[in-house]
Amino acid sequence: MSQNRSPLVAGVFSLLVPGLGQIYIGQRYRGVAILLGTLVAAGMVFWYGDPLWYFVPALIGLWNVWDAVSLARAGQTRPIWIPVLAALLAAYTIGWQVVGIDFSAADADRAMQILRPMLRPDFVQERREVNSMWVPVQVPCGPQPPQARREDGGKSALVMPDCAGVNETMILNVNGMWPDTDTNVVWRTPIGDPKMIGENEAEMLVVRSDASGVVTTAIHVPSTALVAAPDPTLPQEHRVYVYQYRPKGGIELSYIGSEVLNGALITIGMALIATMLAVFLAIPISFLAAHNLMGGNPVTYAIYVVMRTILNVLRSIESLIIAIIFVVIVGLGPFAGVLALAMHSIAALAKLYSEVIEGIDPGPIEAIRATGANWLQTVRYAVIPQIIPPFTAFTIYRWDINVRSATIVGFVGGGGLGFLLIELIRVNNMQGVSAVFITIAIIVTAMDYISAKIRERLV
Amino acid sequence: MLRIQHVSKTYPNGTQALKDVSFDVADGEFMVVIGLSGSGKSTLLRCINRLIDPSEGKIYWNDTDVTSANAAELRNIRRNIGMVFQQFNLVKRSSVLTNVLSGRLGYANPWLSLLGIWPQEEKDRALKALARVGIAEKAFSRADALSGGQQQRVGIARALMQEPKIILADEPVASLDPVLSHSILQYLEVLNKEGITVICSLHFLDLVHRYATRVVALKDGMKVFEGSAKEIDRAKFKEIYGEEAQEVRAASF
Repeated sequence: MSQNRSPLVAGVFSLLVPGLGQIYIGQRYRGVAILLGTLVAAGMVFWYGDPLWYFVPALIGLWNVWDAVSLARAGQTRPIWIPVLAALLAAYTIGWQVVGIDFSAADADRAMQILRPMLRPDFVQERREVNSMWVPVQVPCGPQPPQARREDGGKSALVMPDCAGVNETMILNVNGMWPDTDTNVVWRTPIGDPKMIGENEAEMLVVRSDASGVVTTAIHVPSTALVAAPDPTLPQEHRVYVYQYRPKGGIELSYIGSEVLNGALITIGMALIATMLAVFLAIPISFLAAHNLMGGNPVTYAIYVVMRTILNVLRSIESLIIAIIFVVIVGLGPFAGVLALAMHSIAALAKLYSEVIEGIDPGPIEAIRATGANWLQTVRYAVIPQIIPPFTAFTIYRWDINVRSATIVGFVGGGGLGFLLIELIRVNNMQGVSAVFITIAIIVTAMDYISAKIRERLV
Repeated sequence: MLRIQHVSKTYPNGTQALKDVSFDVADGEFMVVIGLSGSGKSTLLRCINRLIDPSEGKIYWNDTDVTSANAAELRNIRRNIGMVFQQFNLVKRSSVLTNVLSGRLGYANPWLSLLGIWPQEEKDRALKALARVGIAEKAFSRADALSGGQQQRVGIARALMQEPKIILADEPVASLDPVLSHSILQYLEVLNKEGITVICSLHFLDLVHRYATRVVALKDGMKVFEGSAKEIDRAKFKEIYGEEAQEVRAASF
């Protein structure tokens, strides 16, 4: 067939429209494939707009003419890997640049700053006892400043002079503290705002007490001491606090640790309540969505189709997205998360339940009816024993899934561990983040194991 | 005395499973129904206790009209008719004891039975029924933990709980090997000797000869033979089962 086709005509056709020459020769599929391939490659390159890549459609065009001519002349095709390789090269390089892959953006120092604290998850801390003392100081100076000294429980503290302005230096002297112990010194404004007065006011001022329990140091009034004051010229009582800590033996839950524990309980509870809510609604729905029960007449079949469609649509929406909507409706917190999880679980459980109902063995039903049992007895002895174990197994499996989803749903404001996690990430508390990660891992693994064990026994 | 008179059954999809079948079963008989798969044996047995409603015809049991009984009367009739199935039809996830007790549902207090509460007397009766079929020690196993032969014995124990006057056995041994087949049929034979009427569908000629006191043969929903087991020889069997049966046999030699 190719003998009676002119190579020249084939070449010209292919030059005008890529693939047309091949179609002219009779290779219709090859022609259409070449046309579509060329269009896609050209579209991609022109969209990207870098003239450097115009060679790709040009190369494909030239190859296509060469292919058409050699087909017409000798009935022989030219290797297709040449245009494919050119197009793939363009696709990958352009794709790389569009996506913005940039390995140099990965900064090892930054990574270490984030990862190193994660090695020390903030769960527990040493149990400590606190020894504290404070002394009032007037800022700024008034006409008759009160004495900046105070005694309390055998401890005495004084500041000289009795008053000062912002950034002025004073001497702090505290007697009766624990000897040879690091002591934190903190400034507190009249409204209780703590100010650090160490280096650059960015660090805690730490002073070591001497062998007789005396702390002596120069302090300065923090530059921000009057920021929140209604009238910066009005003399007011500020306070200088000193704190000493020493281990009491044993460990206790840290603040973050207790928050994580609390969040974990909320997350498991959210999953539990959402699953229970879903079970109550899914059971009646599942009967309406079971083909063997509803297939009998057109009306019930229509209900079946509607139910199935609703379930499929609901199931296709991720619970994270449903959660965003519920957060808007009912506000931040676990309730929004519960509603989102329940919504998704209803759809998932109803489908699984209805499949259980569709799969029950009619044999026992027949056998129980044959004994003279009434309808309720038949349901109780032939239907329920068949559906309860798989229902329970699916419900536990759903709870397991919901525990995992609950952490994600928390991210968008649904409460629990996820909410805590996003807050910790925002304040860059990587030790806390790591504590949450570990807790999630433990909960999910435990749930996975427990639910697998229970389901094993049921089915 | 069970009298089946002109019974026909047409399914909603148009299949005619039974065509004008009539015969009588005297008390204490071991009546065997033979015929090809699809010849209407299962439908016939299920018409007797109305698991399937016949389209036409009458069935009388001791002058009670089974076919026109209302729901309450029907339950009363059914509890006197035990049934044994090819696939055993046990609730697989329930215990053997629960499966056997469920045979007593027609007699039990409906509300207590719904709660799953059984009087000790009924539990003893169930254990005795299990002992009769030789598997008392399996009472608390799950039904699906038992072998096929044991499951069928549970099926018989369930039927025994009904203190039946009739046992309908729908190919009770078709899912079992030949040795087990004999042991199951021997249980039915013992019950039959004690006065329970047995109506049983079977496939194998040697089993028919061994156990049947009388035989009814169905072909395409019609009764083609009724008589004693001795009257059925190979030629008659071939006639009932069709020429194809012979060809299969010939090919296998």
